[in-house]
Amino acid sequence: MTDKIDLQDELTIPADRFYDREHHMWVTVNSTQRQARVGMDALGLSALGDLAYVTLKNVGAVIQRGESFGTLEAAKMTGDLIAPISGTILARNEAVIKNPSLVNLSPYDDGWLVIIQPIDWKKESAQLVSGNALSAWIESEMKRYRGQGWID
Amino acid sequence: MDWRLITDDNVTASFGLSADETLAERVGANLSIPTLRLYTYRSHCALVGRFQNVGNEVRVDYCKSHNIPINRRPTGGGAILMGADQLGVALTIPGRADDTLRLNAQGDAYSHARELMSMFSEGLVRGLNQLGVQASFRRKNDIEVDGKKIIGLGIHRARSNGLLFHASLLVDLDVELMLHVLNTPFEKISDKEISTVAGRITTVRRETKSGIMLDEVRQTIADSYASSLDVKLVADTFNSDELQAISALEREKYLSDDWIYQTSEVADTFGSSKIKTPAGLLDVRVTLAGNIIKAAFIGGDFFASENAVADLEASLRWHTSQADKVAATLQKIYQRRQNEFNGVPLEVLIEAVNKAIARARLAESQARADPYGCYVNPGGQYA
Repeated sequence: MTDKIDLQDELTIPADRFYDREHHMWVTVNSTQRQARVGMDALGLSALGDLAYVTLKNVGAVIQRGESFGTLEAAKMTGDLIAPISGTILARNEAVIKNPSLVNLSPYDDGWLVIIQPIDWKKESAQLVSGNALSAWIESEMKRYRGQGWID
Repeated sequence: MDWRLITDDNVTASFGLSADETLAERVGANLSIPTLRLYTYRSHCALVGRFQNVGNEVRVDYCKSHNIPINRRPTGGGAILMGADQLGVALTIPGRADDTLRLNAQGDAYSHARELMSMFSEGLVRGLNQLGVQASFRRKNDIEVDGKKIIGLGIHRARSNGLLFHASLLVDLDVELMLHVLNTPFEKISDKEISTVAGRITTVRRETKSGIMLDEVRQTIADSYASSLDVKLVADTFNSDELQAISALEREKYLSDDWIYQTSEVADTFGSSKIKTPAGLLDVRVTLAGNIIKAAFIGGDFFASENAVADLEASLRWHTSQADKVAATLQKIYQRRQNEFNGVPLEVLIEAVNKAIARARLAESQARADPYGCYVNPGGQYA
């Protein structure tokens, strides 16, 4: 398997991470599975547009998968950032709070959002897309996004 | 399918906003059915966007001395003045795949919402068209008449996944009062400043050249929504459970200074540039929120169509400040309106806008950060 899947132009999906199907969040986990880094993927961002504001819950907050760990505004749509896994926030990216454009410019590196200590990585990671399942998921998402006119 | 139509008037800012958010939450949780609410606020109140800093956007002292409440919307965008002549629109629906909505929705958190922005604008556009107003949807979040804004739009996704589509429709607007209430770059408010702002917006009464009553506009909008969504709207009122929830949220949030006066860590910065062109002086001013263009003013002594300039400015609002993307957007407007700029070269305009953006990014510009309102662009004293 390749290390990333290039979709088109600036849209890339790195193959080294796990993805939340519904909310287009990515997760990487360290070797001990005690620290998981979370961010938004390029497809979700392509639909959302340029982020104007981001807030993130404080370090120490306990969050549940499917619940809010922050808020955002993009093109006057406001809403919650939905956690792909449950756990305790160990760190948050202060740089994106001050400059939300970082998320658009560098979604997989400088634009990360929070680092979480997972509560049950084994169980919850099974609900995310990864590895060999990525290609089929991305293909269906691209088709849907094209159908809705969000990408060419 | 039956949806509810709720009409209420003269509501307080805290009740009005609490009711909208409560309905979105409850509709998302299947506790209330989809609802179109068409209402007015008690004249007047100032409502800032979800993440704005009140002090940057509103003249707090003026509001306090004139008993004008200030509050914060759950939806994004700029500060607005609301009262008896501005129709508030709040459409609340379950924000997930639902066959009854006839949407190609598959539960996606973001694309679905943007699809809805366009779809739900249709009821407003059709309604205005029926009134003789040639309004159209601008891709991002405004409804305009030939470049002039007449409706501001926003969407909020509640935690239950319920969606709130918010709009403020200008049936009429007291521009002078707005300039007193919202923070603007103008040091004084003279006929010239009023005229500049009035030239960037329009109202139903101005477009129809009539004194049309708000109730007539409201009924037309309700009918056009029923038609565009293919639903039957049944007149209703809030039930007791809803009123209880609205009251609780109002106490907890919309009457709380912690909510209203919260601040964002994204700094506003201002930059300007002036370039002489064969057609005259080009004067560009921009305000950035981080790296997003929050407002743009394009002025000078060149002669151009007011609508074309308003169109340019609107295209830059809430746009990325990346130079190549700014250039691409300006190019698109020029392709459509080239004859209306009377010799101002596109490349010079691009240079001027990007220069103003570059200056806004400089740290020393921050002290001059220039506030703005939903319908107000920077200008005046800071050139």
